[in-house]
Amino acid sequence: MSSARTLVAWCPDWPVVAVGADAATPAAVVSGGRITACTAAARESGVRRGQRLRDAQRRCPVLSVHAEDPEGEARCFEQVAAVVESFCPRVEVVRPGLCAVPARGPARYFGGEQVLADLIREAVVLRGFECAVGVADGVFAAALAARKGPAGVVVPVGEAARFLAPYPVSVLDVARTLPDLDLVGLLGRLGIRTLGEFAALPAGSVLTRFGVDGAVAHRLASGLEPRPPATRPPGEDLTAVMRLDPPVEQSEPVVFVAKSLADELHANLAARGLACVRVEVEVSTEDGRSRSRLWRHDGLLSSTAVAERVRWQLDAWRTDAPGSPDALVGGVVSLRLSPDQVVVDSGRQLALWGQATVDDRVERVATRLQAMLGHAAVTVPMFAGGRGPGEQVLRVPWGDRLEPRLSAAGPWPGRVPLPAPAVVHPSPVPAAVTDAAGQPVTVSGRCEVSSPPCRLSVDGGPALVVTGWTGPWPTLEHWWDAGLARRAARFQVTTDDGRGWLLVVDRGRWRVEAVHD
Amino acid sequence: MSAFALRTPVEGAPQADTLAVLPALQSLVPGLRRGQVVSVDGGGSLPLALAAGASAEGAWCAVVGMPECGVLAASNMGVDPGRLLLVDEPGGRWPEVVATLLGPVEVVLLRPSARPSVVEVRRLTAHARRHGAVLVVAGAWQGAYLRLRVASSLWTGLGDGHGHLRGRRVQVVAEGKGRPRAAWLWLPDPDGKVASAGLAAVEAGAEVVETGVEPGVEPGGELPAEVAG
Repeated sequence: MSSARTLVAWCPDWPVVAVGADAATPAAVVSGGRITACTAAARESGVRRGQRLRDAQRRCPVLSVHAEDPEGEARCFEQVAAVVESFCPRVEVVRPGLCAVPARGPARYFGGEQVLADLIREAVVLRGFECAVGVADGVFAAALAARKGPAGVVVPVGEAARFLAPYPVSVLDVARTLPDLDLVGLLGRLGIRTLGEFAALPAGSVLTRFGVDGAVAHRLASGLEPRPPATRPPGEDLTAVMRLDPPVEQSEPVVFVAKSLADELHANLAARGLACVRVEVEVSTEDGRSRSRLWRHDGLLSSTAVAERVRWQLDAWRTDAPGSPDALVGGVVSLRLSPDQVVVDSGRQLALWGQATVDDRVERVATRLQAMLGHAAVTVPMFAGGRGPGEQVLRVPWGDRLEPRLSAAGPWPGRVPLPAPAVVHPSPVPAAVTDAAGQPVTVSGRCEVSSPPCRLSVDGGPALVVTGWTGPWPTLEHWWDAGLARRAARFQVTTDDGRGWLLVVDRGRWRVEAVHD
Repeated sequence: MSAFALRTPVEGAPQADTLAVLPALQSLVPGLRRGQVVSVDGGGSLPLALAAGASAEGAWCAVVGMPECGVLAASNMGVDPGRLLLVDEPGGRWPEVVATLLGPVEVVLLRPSARPSVVEVRRLTAHARRHGAVLVVAGAWQGAYLRLRVASSLWTGLGDGHGHLRGRRVQVVAEGKGRPRAAWLWLPDPDGKVASAGLAAVEAGAEVVETGVEPGVEPGGELPAEVAG
């Protein structure tokens, strides 16, 4: 099979770009203790992909390290894919940072492959992302062509094999189509150093010696396509829109329209065997502005439920303060429901055991409050790891599924013992602790208390007499991370009004972390 | 809203007319009557303890306007964290938020961000009654069915530079219709739970000194019965 002309748009160091690192500063993305991507500045200091984090930090001590975020990368790359899609509709996102399109048709339309490549590159750069574009026979050769030169090159038709020949075999993992990279090492040990040498081997012998994966790699090295690009079909427009003329001031007619729009949307989705993960409701008003909000759908919302959410949304915007940018003024001129993240409707199977089902009424109430106050205003608690009482509970917005970064199971030596305090301040409240002579109590670097605490004054309030105290309980946390490092000592104190206090002293400043009240 | 509507429970409201409370609190509050408002004065743990019994039995709870609510302490007392909604910053919209929650959520804990107006108080009280939900208010509430307050409180476990907080013995007074009742409780006990701390328990821990009992309270209100039980 001869390879189709393919254009590849490549954004260098995408994982680093996606986490928002500046290309001019040394930064790297790490997964499992190894560098997966780094900026050009970091590369100049000797940081390489696949290096261990400690080696990288030895070479470049100022390296700023980010955790890998595959979903964020994919989400961010959608912007680039959308730009490319505006030129040619059938985009295949090979992986975040690299997308491919069949180049033949669009090149003819725009007047040449080089012209098309320049147009796409400029559009992506204008969008704010560094980009290089390569055109060649097949995705693999095009991906390498994109890496060649400052902005990529166009490899003429039929020249792919010659273009690939001088590359070392290690570039085979660029295509990321090979399940095991041992092949590269094995070829190296067999004395095959370049793709040209590998391609010169007879295909049948490669298949018998290296199996199917080897054969695929051999096809790549020969400038052939292992498989045609799996393009995604141009997105069918399933959006349901209704224009309202004359503009409608009251909510009720809009909600009524929303019901019929939702019916239409659901019918369209069902006819194609699709379901949407979320549905976006967009309301435009007379003043020319439009506001939108996404609702979790998962194929579960009836059209009445969608209409209800439109009503909540309108109510929430109507009652916003008149001056706020989100406030809804004037009549509604159009309503648009668009499905977001369309997936194949594979039905929904409830687990037989152990799946917590949430009461529908509670679900509705929580969603409604989120419409009123914002997504993060309604939370559910989740236990996480930590020593202080504030760190042990996370508040997760309703409907989000987050995993705590630190396990609550521990072990957490030095955790504040039970019973847990009933009042945990979201941010610690400043306090003053003085001894019998009225001097501030201090804790030395060796955890010596200057004198027993005698009085406690919280946030400038009246002094309470300390009836009992204990401490200091030193904590030294995150010493390996300058941003999070914390060296503090905790005290428990009881006062004459019957309350217990969990105090923390950090660089001479006393604060109330929690109250046993 | 007509008076008739107030008396008729809405369709779908569960029929059992009380929600469970923790065993240790039963001498004070035999059960949370659906549709009533309880005002609680003093401390962060008493409202949580009041909700714990119902939550442990499977009721949904919501905490409105209390960003400082200690969820860990609540869960130790028996509140099910999987059935807990937190609305930390309702701002000026707390009456709307509470009115929305009452009903589907059976126990709502509220700390109003501002002193509630008479109209809001009346409206939410009626709303709670209509939907058969319990509203627990931290602070004053005109016309509350029951008022709970901590009359005295003493922490044990701390010495002069040693030990750690172990338990707190409190006297809780419940005022409503009829005579005020009082009970001694461990709130919390060393495991973070709520337990009764009658006279027997006091004699066992002889070092405990009671302080700060207010003169207006009848300390003996219902105590003998509770000690006998």
